[in-house]
Amino acid sequence: MTSQTLAGHRLPTEIDTIAELEAYLNAALRLEHATIPPYLTALYSLHPGANSDARHLIRVVAVEEMLHLTLVANVMNAAGLRVDLTADDFVPRYPAHLPSGEIDFLVSVQPFSPAAVTTFLNIERPVKAPSESRRLLRRPDLGAGTVLAASPVDPSRCFYSIGEFYEEINRGLRHLHDRYRAEGRELFTGDVARQVTGEYFYSGGGEIVAVHDLDTAIEALTLIIEQGEGLGGGIYDGEGELSHYYRFQQLQLGSYYQRGDVPGRPSGPALDVDFDAVHPVAIDVALTDYPDGSPVREAAQAFNRTYADFLAHLTAAYDGEPQKLLEAVPWMFRLRDDIERLIRNPFPGRPGVHASPVFTRASEEWS
Amino acid sequence: MIFPEGAAARTDATDVAGRVYDVVIVGAGISGAIIADRLSREGRSVLVLEAAPADDLTIAGYEGYLNRFYGTAMKDNQAPYPVLPPVPMPRSTDARPLTPGGGPNTGGYLVQNGPHSTDTTYTRVLGGTTMHWEAKILRMLPEDFELADRYGHGLKWPLGYDELEPLYREAEREIGVSADVEDQRYLGLHYPPDYVFPMRGLPASFLDRTVAEGVDGTQVRVSDDEEIEIRVRPFPQGRNGIPNPAYDAGRGFVPVGAVSTHQVEEGGRCQGNNNCVPICPVQAKYHAGKTLARTLHRDVDLLAQAVAYRVHTDDETGRVTRIEYRRYPDPNSTAYETGFAQGRAYVLATNAIENARLMLASGLQDRADLIGRNLMDHAYLLTWARLPEIAGTMRGTNCTSGITDLRGGRFRKGRASFSVDIHNDGWGWATGAPVTDLVRIVEENQHGFELRRSLVDQVSTQLLLAHMIEVLPDRDNRVTVDPRYRDELGNMRPVISFKVPDYTMRGAAFARELSRDLFGKLHAQDFTSYDPAEYGYVEFGGEGYRILGGNHLAGTHVMGTSPGVSVVDDHQRSWEHENLYLVGGGSMPTIGTANTTLTSTALCLRTAEHLIQELRRQDRPLTLATIGAR
Repeated sequence: MTSQTLAGHRLPTEIDTIAELEAYLNAALRLEHATIPPYLTALYSLHPGANSDARHLIRVVAVEEMLHLTLVANVMNAAGLRVDLTADDFVPRYPAHLPSGEIDFLVSVQPFSPAAVTTFLNIERPVKAPSESRRLLRRPDLGAGTVLAASPVDPSRCFYSIGEFYEEINRGLRHLHDRYRAEGRELFTGDVARQVTGEYFYSGGGEIVAVHDLDTAIEALTLIIEQGEGLGGGIYDGEGELSHYYRFQQLQLGSYYQRGDVPGRPSGPALDVDFDAVHPVAIDVALTDYPDGSPVREAAQAFNRTYADFLAHLTAAYDGEPQKLLEAVPWMFRLRDDIERLIRNPFPGRPGVHASPVFTRASEEWS
Repeated sequence: MIFPEGAAARTDATDVAGRVYDVVIVGAGISGAIIADRLSREGRSVLVLEAAPADDLTIAGYEGYLNRFYGTAMKDNQAPYPVLPPVPMPRSTDARPLTPGGGPNTGGYLVQNGPHSTDTTYTRVLGGTTMHWEAKILRMLPEDFELADRYGHGLKWPLGYDELEPLYREAEREIGVSADVEDQRYLGLHYPPDYVFPMRGLPASFLDRTVAEGVDGTQVRVSDDEEIEIRVRPFPQGRNGIPNPAYDAGRGFVPVGAVSTHQVEEGGRCQGNNNCVPICPVQAKYHAGKTLARTLHRDVDLLAQAVAYRVHTDDETGRVTRIEYRRYPDPNSTAYETGFAQGRAYVLATNAIENARLMLASGLQDRADLIGRNLMDHAYLLTWARLPEIAGTMRGTNCTSGITDLRGGRFRKGRASFSVDIHNDGWGWATGAPVTDLVRIVEENQHGFELRRSLVDQVSTQLLLAHMIEVLPDRDNRVTVDPRYRDELGNMRPVISFKVPDYTMRGAAFARELSRDLFGKLHAQDFTSYDPAEYGYVEFGGEGYRILGGNHLAGTHVMGTSPGVSVVDDHQRSWEHENLYLVGGGSMPTIGTANTTLTSTALCLRTAEHLIQELRRQDRPLTLATIGAR
């Protein structure tokens, strides 16, 4: 670990080499992806025809998480790094921990419920470390489960918030960029043809940023931070969109935010939420929870394979074939259809509970 | 874009009675929405009278349509929309064959007087027929405007392609058209050199590519001295695809997504759901609500559940003085109250049938007796076959490509032109697939996996060609009214007299032969057959055909250069009533082989500009004579 001086303070900068940058960006990919299974499961647990407001709201956030994943991939490609979503540890084992000042919650794959909304708020909550010294915290041993946004170079430490985690990457990018320049080298030498542009990723909430230098890299990561948490303190991000935290808060408060509102007091139209119009899908299921040979186990395995294939397909799109991202739309339909095959069926031996998708990598489950 | 909260309830009959608007528009379809938008941008006050309820201004309302569609067994193009006694709609399921001398079919909303029975429909909901259109959106060819001079057919247009070209571009922006301009330069269609469409063309379906492989480069002998080479070409689409970054001199294009969703990113893109008709689940398809939502943030009032009943005019000046409407407070009851709307100018923007119906029901007629006459609608001839191998039918947008090379040519002296749609939704239109296939397979005692497999295999080899054939204006094809036939609000219903012209039937016969050749080239087995017992059956030249309606209604108040030959001028202003505009397809003197929406939108943009100038002129203080002063 090295340090740099900024405004008289000694600041920790963990990223001093391209390998450390890669470790951070790989962690960012895992982090961005980790919210997608919980959001998709909550989304598809909604009864068709009910909860229209919640459906639109969660769907858009899920799509924006896809955008974030893509933006991280663009930064990696610009820095000549390879993106791989097929690594064995890529999909977290749920329940998983996200970083925060207090280690107070776990992220689960669960049905839409007040608890799920609380979790979503926890994931997206806008928190800035109270001081420089508290950005990186000592992480107690949490036992099993994935920890997201722990420092990838020092697993005993985690960041105060996702915003601070990205802030660390931004600092590292600046630091590496300056050092490379001083050495007569360039950090951003990736082939621009590998970038995912608006042509391939469109209508995902916010404009995609094609990354080719430090400024565009910072722009891409700043978009992630602002859309997620509104780290700047406002409820709207730089593009005038409501940040995820406040979007989810509307589900708790039962009305929409509109321009001019202050946090916690949305004054827009009413938003109807019906927590009863939900399939009661099982929480954090493993494949082995389903009885051998049962139709739901087969359906869960089928979904699992579709999901693994989907990640492999995305990897190809982020690894030099951006046009493959256009096929993500039909893929998402296939994922939805596979999930629906599960969530509308009872869970064997658990009265009142429905089957639920398993996102854990198939190879892990089968081994 | 979100409809303002409470917009549907903002205006009531009392408010309307106490106000003289700059413009009163009847109908909240694309024509009315476009004109309301352009006028309100100029700060003009506008009242839109809409026959349907306006609850569907919300996303829940739109999703209500979707859920009704999903839950309905009969998925015709009105399936998503509620059946309301005060605003009946024509429905293709109401069409019946007519027997000579057997009298009209009065069973549906349209009274079908024959001799041919049509399955013409239009949607009386907020947003009009853009709520169920296919959104295939073509420009008319330059030669379509010159049919009379070039080939001696049809009524003369007072405008040509070059005058409409900039308006076509503006309409393409409003609708957000997806197309690649290099595909759309044919038969004289031209654009400014640097033009690109707002969005890139949608990808061709696998079925399109299969057909293209078999038929591209085929030479078609269209007459003794004319041979045309055909190929499969993509259609421009009024739906969101990939915005073209080169649009608008590199400023790009921002598509409008799902209306009335809060905080949803704009620009929901076509997902190829394959039910564009009757309703797009994600609002990727343009509908007039996208334009209308913007207008209601301005000085535009919307009075819903108000069905125009009579256009009142001043006997001396001919000017329209007010529109009388019947407003029903309860959509499930036909109890109504009468109200009046007043404006400085009036725009009838319903559609070719309803505009004419309202004029005739109001006792208004033009000196050339043209109102309601020259009713046109494209004649569709379907042919269908089974391809030798699976071609991915039922995937993608309803119709992405077709054969458009036969839209123009010298052969039009003797026979109608047509364009050929390749339908990605299988034989549905012709046979009711896949439901009918399912029933057949079940009757063959297949079940479980076998049943699913056969259904998929059989449906995914289906090829349906829809030949959209030109129909010329004919005085005897017309809309009239008859006090004997009224709807439950007391409005006289449209009475339709229609005969498919021989010129069109010669085109149909040619199309039938061509499809046989094309099926041969594709090694496809022809399953086409026309049942004489079905509506739309027409005998011609010793053969039977079935002609279906395209719902591209036109011609009932044609535009022209003088009141002796037309109902409206080239601004769609009535010759008889100085402050009345009859807009939409009804003004078109011919329709060629382009779906009518783009051209009528372009005409409405022209009308809006004219209205703006006209209102400005009226507002200018009169200059008093100053001779001798000072």
